[in-house]
Amino acid sequence: MKLEAKIQMGLLENLWRKSKTMFALWFAHMTVYRAEIFIWMLSGVVPLIMMSVWIGKASANGGTLENFNAASFAAYFLAAWVSQQLTVAWVAWEMNFQIRQGELSSKLLRPIDPLWEHIFRHFTERFVRGPFILVVVIAGTFIVPGTKLTPDLWHVLEFLLVINLAFLMRFLIQYCIGTLCFWFENATAFDEFLYVLQTFLAGGFAPLEFYPPAIRAVVEWTPFPYMVYYPAKILTGTLSSSETLRVMLITLAWVLAFGVLRSILWRFGIKKYGAVGA
Amino acid sequence: MIEVANLEKHYTVNEKEPGIAGSLRSFFSRKTKTVKAVDGVSFKIEAGEMVGFLGANGAGKTTTLKMLAGLLHPTAGMAKVAGFTPFERRSSFLKTITLVMGQKQQLLWDLPALDSFLVNQAIYEIPDLEYRATMKEFIELLDLDGILKKQVRKLSLGERMKCELAAALLHRPKVLFLDEPTIGLDVNMQVRIREFVAAYNQRFNATVILTSHYMADVTALCKRIVVVDKGHIIFDGDLSALIERSSPAKIVKLELSKIVPREILESYAPVKSLDGLFAELLVPRLETSKVAGRLLSELPVADVTIQDPDIEEIIGELFQSQKVKP
Repeated sequence: MKLEAKIQMGLLENLWRKSKTMFALWFAHMTVYRAEIFIWMLSGVVPLIMMSVWIGKASANGGTLENFNAASFAAYFLAAWVSQQLTVAWVAWEMNFQIRQGELSSKLLRPIDPLWEHIFRHFTERFVRGPFILVVVIAGTFIVPGTKLTPDLWHVLEFLLVINLAFLMRFLIQYCIGTLCFWFENATAFDEFLYVLQTFLAGGFAPLEFYPPAIRAVVEWTPFPYMVYYPAKILTGTLSSSETLRVMLITLAWVLAFGVLRSILWRFGIKKYGAVGA
Repeated sequence: MIEVANLEKHYTVNEKEPGIAGSLRSFFSRKTKTVKAVDGVSFKIEAGEMVGFLGANGAGKTTTLKMLAGLLHPTAGMAKVAGFTPFERRSSFLKTITLVMGQKQQLLWDLPALDSFLVNQAIYEIPDLEYRATMKEFIELLDLDGILKKQVRKLSLGERMKCELAAALLHRPKVLFLDEPTIGLDVNMQVRIREFVAAYNQRFNATVILTSHYMADVTALCKRIVVVDKGHIIFDGDLSALIERSSPAKIVKLELSKIVPREILESYAPVKSLDGLFAELLVPRLETSKVAGRLLSELPVADVTIQDPDIEEIIGELFQSQKVKP
């Protein structure tokens, strides 16, 4: 084997080893907090509440509302809830804590960008969250007769791709907010503000079809509908292939944009780090 | 190995008067003040040297270490560690150094220390063979047997500190920044940590900068000390030289078999203390043996011991007077 190829193999081996070890560690860590994760999941219950509200409205209106009936509302809000669960990110809160308490110091001493630890924390947490999600989805489809998420494997694969991009986007937005803590004494207010916008604009409150056209036009220019609304539409099999491709490309563009912004904020912010308390 | 020239770190801190009125004023116009934590520090440390950083709280010791470890961006000046500029935090630099900060931990609280060790092995790309050899050595030197598989939160402070130290040195760094590594530990554990650091220094010819409030840590490990006060270095040199220069006298302790009046003792050397049959005289260093001989032959002395003044006292005096200049 040529030297160059050997070096590349070595790099890949190291990468694989790091990923494997980080996965094992954070998975072990997250399982310690399984009860807490379950409680966090309950806090994301807005789409499930809204589901019953909209189903009630539909039946008061003779069974349908803008092409949505009880079963399609149930499918949409279940899918919205799954999308929300799979894109949850709390890295702003973690960074806020680490920067304020000086805990970032021990992370900065290691020859690996602290970003990776956060990514692995979130990634492994999905595996602990997964079984709970499955139980709720199965229960949900039984409760409202006729509720169907897509039966098409292709849509499921599309959904998995889009939802991972959506997670990265949400994660990076939160990361950018977290870095603001280098300048402000506390960045959680920004995080709260983001949470409110997400709740109302991402699609967990209502499908975008029900927003006034002018507001919808504005919302489409923000990253929010790509977090919940579009992934949910894909999972319910109600988005065309060309639309799905458009959604993927736009989400990817947001990921890249926030990725670049995160790097810039990190590079300048880290110079302001005071390493207080540690 | 370490070179620092005119290093400075200034912080901006907000100031607020106490009470509601102070809070309201601060809400509308916030007063800030620049604090010079490190103010023009310069020194050089050779490979394999162990240097003790001494100074009161807030003197600038830890800030200097944090700059050298790449955590803080200096306001001005130059720092080089093993040929690297610390703040760039290159991967190869981070693999060369370690910073141990008292009880701040890199170990995960809810998992056994061994899990954190394995992550460090992967992150620092330590080959299996080297990892096993280092672990074997550390388990022996630090007596880690039986504690590595316990949840970190269930360990005692001493056990945790030993694990922290092992985790921080697993990649065999050549430069060690130890900030209060023995804080809060009992005397036996302090000795164990000291012995471990000394053994590590010997084994890997590692360069060590140590800060500690326990003078025993410094005197046991470091020949050279750097005394920092208000962001400035007020002494840099041999510990023994500091003692000689700042305290030109030795203490001769006498146990007398009969009471001797103070005036007679004063005729030999200034009396530091006199309590019945016990006396302490401050004898100039060069005359110690001559005066001790005279005391023994001319006075009713039951026992005599000669010692250097307490190092903590010397450092205390140094801060008071700043009489010793580098």
